[in-house]
Amino acid sequence: MIVLNTNYGAITVELNFEKAPISAENFKKYAKDGFYEGTIFHRVIDDFMVQGGGFEAGMAQKDNGSPIENEANNGLSNLTGTLAMARTSDPHSATSQFFINVGDNLFLDHRDKSEQGWGYAVFGRVVDGMKVINTIKACETGSNAGHQDVPVDDIVIQTVEIQED
Amino acid sequence: MQDRVLLISDLHLEEQRQDITEAFTQFLKVNRGKCSALYILGDLFEVWVGDDVESPLTTKIADSLRKFYKSGSSIYLMHGNRDFLIGESYAAQCGITLVQDYFSLEVQNLEILLLHGDSLCTDDVDYQQFRTMVRDNQWQTEFLKKPIEERVAYASAAREQSRAAVKTKSTEIMDVNQTAVKTLFNSTQHKYVIHGHTHRPAIHDVSLKQDCSSETTGKRIVLGDWDKEIWFVEIQNGKIDLRALPFPE
Repeated sequence: MIVLNTNYGAITVELNFEKAPISAENFKKYAKDGFYEGTIFHRVIDDFMVQGGGFEAGMAQKDNGSPIENEANNGLSNLTGTLAMARTSDPHSATSQFFINVGDNLFLDHRDKSEQGWGYAVFGRVVDGMKVINTIKACETGSNAGHQDVPVDDIVIQTVEIQED
Repeated sequence: MQDRVLLISDLHLEEQRQDITEAFTQFLKVNRGKCSALYILGDLFEVWVGDDVESPLTTKIADSLRKFYKSGSSIYLMHGNRDFLIGESYAAQCGITLVQDYFSLEVQNLEILLLHGDSLCTDDVDYQQFRTMVRDNQWQTEFLKKPIEERVAYASAAREQSRAAVKTKSTEIMDVNQTAVKTLFNSTQHKYVIHGHTHRPAIHDVSLKQDCSSETTGKRIVLGDWDKEIWFVEIQNGKIDLRALPFPE
């Protein structure tokens, strides 16, 4: 389990090392290295998803590591409360950014191995703190530094705890 | 460390009220090492115009909080309507973690929503307009760039205006709006809400409709201010108690 302590409360996530070994290890490594501390949820869309893990307050992008292979074809679905890797239009471009689904987003699931059909890799789920997410998803957003849907008040991951099972 | 959590708000510390400062430092001393976390739900200080304005009071409070923090207890602070400009610099000096209004606290199998409380006073339209202005990041950045004297003068004028306005407003307007309370409970689905701000300590039952057939009761626990007594909430063994103590002799 990994606990993301935010300024709106704690979110505990469980990683699925069995079905998404690459993404889960990738997330755990960033968490262990302290990479996520001080990062914000920079893209928040109610009923869709809340995304973070790549920017600091003030929309300063953090340097992150190498892209990983997309594991969206692992059978896990982008349902409410699941954790998935964010990426660019290139299916295999995910690095540190992740998102939490706040709606059942089945259209993000893997369909085929084309650029449009690859989908987004689910690699974990929220086990505690959905009430925190419900608060976050309802926050006021606006545009900032060329990005849309940026929360007006920073939602910051202040500390990260790794609890070995 | 005991799994005991304390919550306080509305101390309104100021140089002229040494008795409150004394009560607070004593409170910290008595509870040092005896709770896992202390949550301060706003208005720790009566006025705050920037972390760069130091006084014997701010130093004394920082020292006391730091000792408390070093004893192993976490301290979380949420801004109130008086001290919304407390920044990371003072927080670091005190060992405080700044958290936002609408913080979800999960402790001892209880899910509790914490807020200062001023956002629920939606009947006070003038105040809500002022709140929107001063909570804006850009307004705050601009304000903090002004010379200290100007900031102090602005804060004094705002307090005077607020005191004058309080005299003309009905007590209902200055309390929380019941519709805002119900909306809050129904949207966040927390069973417990704890806040301060209104200076009306009480535990209110709020009936909540879950669906067509079932109804459940939420609890809204309002902390008192520290004008005459020490008000705090204690969470221990899965129970939430609202308590008051007299000031130390």
